[in-house]
Amino acid sequence: MSQPFLQIQALRKDYGIVTAVQEVNLTVERGEFMTFLGPSGSGKSTTLYILAGFENPTAGDILLDGRSLISTPSHKRNIGMVFQRYTLFPHLSVGENIAFPLKVRRLGKAEIDAKVARMLKLVRLEGFEDRKPAQMSGGQQQRVALARALAYDPPVLLMDEPLSALDKKLREEIQHEIRRIHQETEVTILYVTHDQEEALRLSDRIAVFSRGVIDQIGTGPELYANPATRFVAEFVGDSDFVGCRIVAAQGGRADIAIGSSAIRGVPLHGPGAAGGTAALMLRPERLSLTRGAGAQGGANLAATVTDITFLGSNIHVAAAAETGEALSVRLPFGHEAASRISRGDAITLGFDPASAHVFVAS
Amino acid sequence: MLLNFDRLGGWKWVLLGITAMTSAFLILPIFFIAALSFGSSQWLIFPPPGWTLKWYAMFFADPRWLEAAGTSFYIAAIVTVLSVLIGLVTSFGLVRGRFIGKEGLRALFLTPMILPVVVLAVALYAFFLRVGLNGTVTGFVIAHLVVALPFSILSITNALEGFDKSIEDAAVLCGASPLEAKIRVTLPSISHGLFSAAVFSFLTSWDEVVLAIFMASPTLQTLPVKIWATLRQDLTPVIAAASTLLIVVTIALMLLVALLRKGLKS
Repeated sequence: MSQPFLQIQALRKDYGIVTAVQEVNLTVERGEFMTFLGPSGSGKSTTLYILAGFENPTAGDILLDGRSLISTPSHKRNIGMVFQRYTLFPHLSVGENIAFPLKVRRLGKAEIDAKVARMLKLVRLEGFEDRKPAQMSGGQQQRVALARALAYDPPVLLMDEPLSALDKKLREEIQHEIRRIHQETEVTILYVTHDQEEALRLSDRIAVFSRGVIDQIGTGPELYANPATRFVAEFVGDSDFVGCRIVAAQGGRADIAIGSSAIRGVPLHGPGAAGGTAALMLRPERLSLTRGAGAQGGANLAATVTDITFLGSNIHVAAAAETGEALSVRLPFGHEAASRISRGDAITLGFDPASAHVFVAS
Repeated sequence: MLLNFDRLGGWKWVLLGITAMTSAFLILPIFFIAALSFGSSQWLIFPPPGWTLKWYAMFFADPRWLEAAGTSFYIAAIVTVLSVLIGLVTSFGLVRGRFIGKEGLRALFLTPMILPVVVLAVALYAFFLRVGLNGTVTGFVIAHLVVALPFSILSITNALEGFDKSIEDAAVLCGASPLEAKIRVTLPSISHGLFSAAVFSFLTSWDEVVLAIFMASPTLQTLPVKIWATLRQDLTPVIAAASTLLIVVTIALMLLVALLRKGLKS
């Protein structure tokens, strides 16, 4: 059996009485694009910094090709990293910046020049080698940083929110570049971000961090369709929650009651038992809308329209459930029912119970 | 902007007047000294009845003056090197270190800037009497280092705080050892701070007189001490010439700093 490429085992990091990383277990395949997604303070950056060797873990281990990295100092780990802030060496030109890791490794001049040229081509900045970092835009600087980090063919490339300082349009452009470079170089990338769209766009798999642990690891569609926790449901995709009562729970499914509605067979997460309370998660784009109250059969919720917003290709309907919770529905422009409702109207929201989720607070 | 110079009307001239007077107040003494050093009157009459380079000729012909200038330069050079080196190490500790009492320590390092120099001079004199350092180059250097270091520490900590440590981290991940990263990346990036530290350290020692008077011996004098001693014996325009030379070196160094700052910005 081949051993996993990169393994993070029971990683923990305490700062005094504060635990930044509680327990992180993760296996990354060679060539994979793995994103750490989570809010600030969830431990994703700390995990990355431990991988880089800037922080020592309190407990746990990191294995690269089966060998522990923990006792290797940062400069001998041969890991590439692109930082959140611009970290080009200000006194060196672009070419010299990319050559720096190669000069440190005492390669020959011809070899260095060839490699620098190849890297500039990879990030599409040919002809920029004599520029100083201060003469370049933020996006260009991050591309040079990427070239510098890849110049020595590291087995793993770490990226710590490298695009957070850029504006939206530029960010999407560089996301595209990163994807292309990942495909061309086949380097294993660990990417940290708090932006779900960025994570979904770039990654093969996403590890969702929350309070120092990984809540769930999976591909974007997996996380969207089957969130393991309420946190993941909230963080990946849009979602609303409605309080409900569990009528019966069996085999990972629950029958629930909300106000006057009874809904059967919703996937259940957490220790739910009949009689307990829970939260039903609904995605705005997976709800159907019909005018008037009292729908027949299926999974339905009665609600009242509170606001209607036109958003170009979408119409966003805000509604209040019987129990008072806010719900939102996203409908395509030109939707028949949506064009005939107005604020205060009674509506019925329908959904497929299998696509909804019930979360029990543990 | 709240105060727009062009829209001030009549007040503009008042402001200009005040600025001109302040400048004159600061610059005129230097101007007079320089004028007198070129004046032909032995009694320092102003305005000078004629112009001459005689006093400069006398300055450069007198080995005692030259020796004093040489001593000043020699001591200032040693102080500069030590001040930048110690300042650099100290600044790394103050900026990067995580320990209790860091802020207190930083304030302590700056106290020589506000402490009356004469108090420091008496204290050092008393101490050096015991260890036999009065009238030695070492004594001079230590005394001047005490007053030069705050400037050095201030310049370098400022530069180091403005330097993003992530850049150094990037160099380390690129494969440079922590020391190599500091030498090849961090030091060049804070070179403006190091340069300011060097210039201010040099100037602090170069024109320092109070400590120097205490440290000096008949055989070891700096230029300011020689000026002071000569002034007490007789009033000769050579003093004006020596003072002018002292000022010229200072202004030249300040100009160099200004030019370098401008070069860095563009």
